[in-house]
Amino acid sequence: MARALTVPIARASPNITLIVWGGLTLLGTLLLSWARIGRDLFAFVPGSIGLQLLRESPVMSGITAVAALVVLTGALQRPESQRGRIALWLGAAGCALSVFYLVSSGQPFGPAAIVAALGFLAIMGTGLALSGTLRTDAFLATSILWVGAFVLAFILFPLWAVLKASVVVKGQLSLAAVTSVLKSPAFFLLNNPASSRNEAAIAAALGLVTAAVVGIVWLAHRRGWRALRAAAVAGVGIWVLAALYLGFGALRNSVLLAIVVGVVATALGFVFALLSERSNLRTRSLLGPLSILPIITPPFVLGLALIYMFGRRGFVTNGLLGLSTGIFFGPLGVAIAQILAYAPIAYLVLQGVVQAMDAAMEEAAETLGASRWHILRTVIWPLARPGIANAFLLVAIESLADFGNPIIVGGGVPFLATEVFFAIIGRFNPSEAAVYGVVLLAMTLSIFLVQRYWIGRRFYVTVTGKPSGAQHRPLPPALDYAASGVFLAWVVLIVALYGSVFIGSITKLWGFDYALTLQHIKALSPTGWQVFWTTARLSAYAAIPSTILGFLIGYLVTRVEFPGKSALEFGSMLSFAVPGTVMGIGYILAFNQGALLLTGTSLILVLAFVFRNMPVGIRSGIAAILQIDRSLEEASTMLRANSPTTLRRIVMPLARAALLSGLVFAFVRAMTAVSQVIFLITPAHNLATTQILSYVEYGSLGRGAALASLLTLFMIAVILALYAVNRRFDTRTVGKTLMT
Amino acid sequence: MKERAVETRSSMPEARLSAVPVRLENVTKRFGSFAAVDNVTLVIPAGKLVTLLGPSGCGKTTTLRMIAGLEHPTGGRIWIGDEDVTALPASNRSVTMVFQSYALFPHLTVHENVAYGLRIAKLPETEIARQVAGVLELVGLPQVGRRYPAQLSGGQQQRVALARALVMKPKVLLFDEPLSNLDAKLRKRVRAEIRELQQRLGITSIYVTHDQAEALALSDVIVVMNLGRVEQIGAPTDLYRKPASRFVADFIGEANLLTGTYREGQVTVGPFTFPFRQESVAAGPVTVLARPEAVTVQTDGAGLPGKIRTAFFMGMTNEYLIETPAGELTATEPIRARGLLSMGTEVRLQFDDTGLYLLSESTESPASTGSSESAP
Repeated sequence: MARALTVPIARASPNITLIVWGGLTLLGTLLLSWARIGRDLFAFVPGSIGLQLLRESPVMSGITAVAALVVLTGALQRPESQRGRIALWLGAAGCALSVFYLVSSGQPFGPAAIVAALGFLAIMGTGLALSGTLRTDAFLATSILWVGAFVLAFILFPLWAVLKASVVVKGQLSLAAVTSVLKSPAFFLLNNPASSRNEAAIAAALGLVTAAVVGIVWLAHRRGWRALRAAAVAGVGIWVLAALYLGFGALRNSVLLAIVVGVVATALGFVFALLSERSNLRTRSLLGPLSILPIITPPFVLGLALIYMFGRRGFVTNGLLGLSTGIFFGPLGVAIAQILAYAPIAYLVLQGVVQAMDAAMEEAAETLGASRWHILRTVIWPLARPGIANAFLLVAIESLADFGNPIIVGGGVPFLATEVFFAIIGRFNPSEAAVYGVVLLAMTLSIFLVQRYWIGRRFYVTVTGKPSGAQHRPLPPALDYAASGVFLAWVVLIVALYGSVFIGSITKLWGFDYALTLQHIKALSPTGWQVFWTTARLSAYAAIPSTILGFLIGYLVTRVEFPGKSALEFGSMLSFAVPGTVMGIGYILAFNQGALLLTGTSLILVLAFVFRNMPVGIRSGIAAILQIDRSLEEASTMLRANSPTTLRRIVMPLARAALLSGLVFAFVRAMTAVSQVIFLITPAHNLATTQILSYVEYGSLGRGAALASLLTLFMIAVILALYAVNRRFDTRTVGKTLMT
Repeated sequence: MKERAVETRSSMPEARLSAVPVRLENVTKRFGSFAAVDNVTLVIPAGKLVTLLGPSGCGKTTTLRMIAGLEHPTGGRIWIGDEDVTALPASNRSVTMVFQSYALFPHLTVHENVAYGLRIAKLPETEIARQVAGVLELVGLPQVGRRYPAQLSGGQQQRVALARALVMKPKVLLFDEPLSNLDAKLRKRVRAEIRELQQRLGITSIYVTHDQAEALALSDVIVVMNLGRVEQIGAPTDLYRKPASRFVADFIGEANLLTGTYREGQVTVGPFTFPFRQESVAAGPVTVLARPEAVTVQTDGAGLPGKIRTAFFMGMTNEYLIETPAGELTATEPIRARGLLSMGTEVRLQFDDTGLYLLSESTESPASTGSSESAP
């Protein structure tokens, strides 16, 4: 009876956590290899085991001594707070010595280094908790340190490497690469010497005229500095747009593309959202499945389909209309492919916004005599505006970062994301690639910041209070039919495009000979299949850590208070805003030499997947945790459970559905990833998406289509399996979690 | 139920013996610059049920959560028995809590819910089964062990939550507005059950509520809190009869607060002077607290003149809102033969000594320190 009543407060008894971690670290450092040769992470390298290094390296003796001291600290009878402070310092010393050893030895790290890093961080975490520096327990404190170290090593460090490479050329600080890129006509050129007009002057003139007109119009209505500001904003805006429009180069192409795709995709998304939430017509039931399709397929499948339907020998352009046109190779084709791919993202954002609007407001407007059109204009539109801005910015980030479509249907026209690739693969110039990467990163990051911190605060929709029983008002019939028409056209296009890829994979030679054949599918063997299974295997490896890490970060961010929390949250969500190609060059620049050599291993691919897709895990984790009443965890704590027990017995079972979905999403995203891994693949570890690209590049469209179809069908099967297991799941939540 | 209770009582004898007091010394909790709990000092006597009462945002829940260990004070110390628990995490405090939402684990059965803490304490399974059965019987739910929380009614869930807290034999039992999710009638019944169980087990209990009727009915001692500070500590009758401040007078029960003057056993309210003696108050301007039930409404004779503005029939009582030269006041009277007086009736009001109390102007400010010694 009394056992439950009096919990002994261990003040002087040995601390098991410290003894275990100290012991593990000691054993790991002494018995495992500190270095490795080549790609095999777990290879046993003679001569590099801690025991053997003890004699030659005083640092190694230091590391061993620190680990031994930790065991001693855990075993000695000391007050916990004092023990905590000692452990904290020992852990820090151990980390520092390990890092010093690795850097000074210069050899690629081995398993002992991993054990040492994790072990000493865990000892520091335990120290932080015991000493009361962090008001959490050892488990959560350790998690914080580990997650922080991961974010630092695998997100911030690669980005730092990109920044560094852009200003350090051959070991010297230099702006040569920056200036040469910024001045190069491939990046941006305003005044084309080959043309007779003066583009810069025209752009400036247009800007000035706009500023003057806006200024005068504003002055007529209002006075003062607001008119000046409006004139300045409009003038600069038009000047920049005109300069971009008249100019040439990757910057111009990417920005204009992002704007056009953003506007059109957002408009389509808004129409679809209205249709899904306010329509009386039955077409809306197609929205769910069709909106998720472009998200679960590799990003360039639509581009491939465009070639089939509208290319030089396209089914529509050549087969039906008899044209031979290259118009769809280039910005137009890229724009269409991106609009088709990203309109669902805008739809999923705006669907939530339109759905969350309190119907009582519309009813109130109606009782005050407003017509449906009037309600749309005066209630729905203003309330949806922040959401529309949000959708536009998300689509713009996607468009800027997109690599697959420009490379397949870009027709050689330069875009920022592809220039990063060509600078490395074609011109072997990492500095140039880094500069392009930094420009791209600066743009996506600033859009991300605007989206997160400026728009994010302007949502009124969620603050309407209690849900009312009111019914949403249907759309005006004219609008309903028009919107349904647009949607149906979109459906036909999507079905035709995906269909063409499937049919293309069983057609002899598209555009010339439409005879059915299995030759492309047969030709996938052995390379195609092998690559497919490698991709599935690595994606599965990556899905587990990204789900666990994401969930843990989600838990830390929502439930635990600690200094640096917002930094951790920002750092871990950052990879959303980092274009895949930038992440990719970050990884090759950061992990290609010295102690951190990882290029050529399959581990680097897995790491790239994990840290690229972790935000998906974080999002689904946060969403699941917020569903759980916090008092359940508190009740568990009050019944003497520590945080791992509470996580294992209460939080995880309740969040199981979300964890499972998160796992599947991480897997899907890894399977369909291209841009972040294109620099990291090796012949030994080729991936399905990059294999499709190389098939297309070498002209075997049929095989590309076959592999793409296989991948698409596999993804559909995976999602359907999840749907069968997880009842609470619907297509929209999948889409929302999957998209950036 | 009674018999069963007698039987199970023998399985928890040490609970009564081990009842310990809880002591808060200058406890402060700041969120940024806002002090949710501001320098609170109080003693919760061993084996008593003490209620923290106050409007929302007064700091009562934060105080409770600091005792639980779910929040950590920015200043001050907390003692449970003779142990300083200020730095201890919630899981090491021998304190359990009944949550407002019950916080029953939805994926575990009732049995598993109650056994949760015992399993963490690594008791043998047979012992766990015995204790869970015992405590479920104690709360009057011997049959529900295999069900899931969602299959129980609100009242049953509440009792399971209580069982889960009791089975750990805590030194201190905490209640965070445990009845607020029940309907009014059930609330009264569960309230009585909690009180009976607490007195039988003699377990030190701290109960947070914003419902003054609940606090009056349940408590040995009530701590009235306002704006993060202790306003008054006392037995329910003391707080009702002799509130230390306008705030307490107004918050506990219904109160008419009239301005008047006091001189040598005479109270003057508006044009009406009547005899009343109170030692603790000095001559001069006072606030006259008259409980509605102490206001007698007559249609003639002497008294404070007034005019009925609205009259309500409340079932057991009649309630009047009356306009007088001293201000507006409420009177309730048991239903009499004469029935409900109509609006506009001119009346004379008399005041009954038992429901009357004078607050001198100086007692407007919180008078916590003076009355905290009077806590039993």
